Amino acid sequence: MTEHIAILVEHDGKKIKPATWELFAFTEHLAKLHPAAIHFIMIGEATRNLAQQLSTQTQCQVIAADIKGADTYHGQIYTDAFTRLLSRYPATYIVASHSTSGMDMIPALSIALNGTCITGVENTDKEDQTLYFTRAVSGGKILARLCAPLASASAPLCLTLSPGAFKPIAPDKNAAPDIIHTAVECRQTAMIYKERLASPSLGSNLTKAEVIVSGGRGIQEEENYALIEALADLFPRSAAGASRPICDYGWAEYSQQVGATGTIVSPKLYIACGISGATQHLEGIRDARFIVAINTDSNAPIMQIADVCIVEDLTEFIPLFMETFQKRKRPAD
Amino acid sequence: MKLLVCIKQVMESASQLKIHSDGKRLCTFESTRYEMNPYDESAVEEAILIKETVDNTHIDVITVGPSHAEDVLRRALGMGADDGIHIIDNSNDFCPPIRIASWISAFAKDRAYDLILTGIMSNDEMNAQTGPMIARILGWPCATAVIKEDLSSDRKSIAIQREIEGGARDVFDISLPCVLTIQTGINTPRYPSLSKVLRAKKKTFTTIEASQLETLRPEAVLDRLVLPQKTAQGIVLEGSALDKSQTLLDILESKGLL
Ligand SMILES: Cc1cc2nc3c(=O)[nH]c(=O)nc-3n(C[C@H](O)[C@H](O)[C@H](O)COP(=O)(O)OP(=O)(O)OC[C@H]3O[C@@H](n4cnc5c(N)ncnc54)[C@H](O)[C@@H]3O)c2cc1C
Repeated sequence: MTEHIAILVEHDGKKIKPATWELFAFTEHLAKLHPAAIHFIMIGEATRNLAQQLSTQTQCQVIAADIKGADTYHGQIYTDAFTRLLSRYPATYIVASHSTSGMDMIPALSIALNGTCITGVENTDKEDQTLYFTRAVSGGKILARLCAPLASASAPLCLTLSPGAFKPIAPDKNAAPDIIHTAVECRQTAMIYKERLASPSLGSNLTKAEVIVSGGRGIQEEENYALIEALADLFPRSAAGASRPICDYGWAEYSQQVGATGTIVSPKLYIACGISGATQHLEGIRDARFIVAINTDSNAPIMQIADVCIVEDLTEFIPLFMETFQKRKRPAD
Repeated sequence: MKLLVCIKQVMESASQLKIHSDGKRLCTFESTRYEMNPYDESAVEEAILIKETVDNTHIDVITVGPSHAEDVLRRALGMGADDGIHIIDNSNDFCPPIRIASWISAFAKDRAYDLILTGIMSNDEMNAQTGPMIARILGWPCATAVIKEDLSSDRKSIAIQREIEGGARDVFDISLPCVLTIQTGINTPRYPSLSKVLRAKKKTFTTIEASQLETLRPEAVLDRLVLPQKTAQGIVLEGSALDKSQTLLDILESKGLL
């Protein structure tokens, strides 16, 4: 019997989200290590068009169900519907994005399906017939390698894929669509969706800035945020940003938060000061063209992606750099 | 109202990290310091804020961990929680979230809690599984990444905002009992008060030996911990701080970034 890998599709009713194409890239890699047929499972208010597009482009089977209220993520509806669909169309591996919805439902799904759960997976490899999944722990300074040796269609491994770990595939096949449209009944009353409120970072000036200097917990004191702003001021068309904790402390506005739950930025130059480089922060700077990291810890994950790594105390280095900068600008003074 | 807050002791974030020779855990040093997982601190604070507005509210805090994890229970009591439960696990083994969730839900099952709070994830293992798993085992509704909550006046439901990508918030009404996992920024956790800390010192906690508890569900297996491979194509600046600042300036100039 063929084994299956199921991708839980993320979409907004109009478009398939890029996270789904990252999942597709990951499952293609997984299927090379562990031969299995990839299929997509999606729910939404009206899935017909997206299901068609998905199946045509990927040449994979799509199992789709139309459910009222399923165009926006709803914990109970999604967990319930996917449990039913996955019981009918079982898979050995069930993958969702480590997004705010995948994180919410995959742990529950793993229990409902009597499976195991691994979240935030960054890669998979095979050794002695066993598949291993690596994920970041301790803020990305260590990786944990895990396995689920007994994964099967009746006890699936449910996992979430860390955003950015795999480059999204842009599938361009033109296959005859293979779609199963099915109905699932979802009765749920314990959780009622009300509305979506705009992000406090909406309209952030970070999106337009060509140079962004951001401060993280390494600034240690509220007063030191002034250093970040002063460094940013050296550059034209610049803005000062921050990691989430700095905004949580109230040392910067939420409109200055860079990252998955703040603003996604794409400056020509990003200077990360005292920022460790957690995945949620890195998600926000994937499109930054040139990254400079100033950090006392040479092992901080930010150092793995920075173009220039400066292992220094920011409270000493930033003033020194500003002085050097001013001197060179006005050598006559 | 009866509240249960699940909290975890983690190493302080600036701790020295070294993988133990058995490959399955981190070494501890003389200098190793522990703290309450910051996300859980926000969960404890939120429970206390509820207690301050709803009469007759009782807050239990529960932790799974080795003997020294007791310190986080004391800290939570110092902040304003009422009682502590310690599921003592001195095994040093990798303990997957499903096991922790099974133990906590077995404890919580018949104790008539209205609300269970956890942090959105722990800073050390970053699984973000325990909260939603507890909810599923108990058959309760759950919302993760909660950034605001508001109990209804009849105390039968709770209006919550959960944070999604880009910082937008989805608003839900959820009937109690339910599980919420708390995101930072929802509040500013208070420091323990001296009088409460002194009282907490004398407090005895309910203790349960983990070895007596059953683990029935399938679990992921930890093979080993490894250090990330450096993928950096970037350059590390050498020399004195002044050298580095001049080199940085040269680089930015040559890239036309000034
Ligand atoms: C669902 C979810 C969403 C999230 N969304 C975001 C998001 O959008 N954006 C975001 O930023 N985070 C987000 N986070 C939080 C994220 O996981 C990290 O906790 C956070 O990014 C860490 O911030 P930091 O790097 O400032 O702090 P830390 O991780 O504590 O790092 C501080 C760094 O400063 C360095 N340092 C210390 N002292 C100095 C010094 N004197 N000079 C120089 N360097 C020094 C340290 O070596 C360390 O690397 C999210 C978390 C969750 C669970």
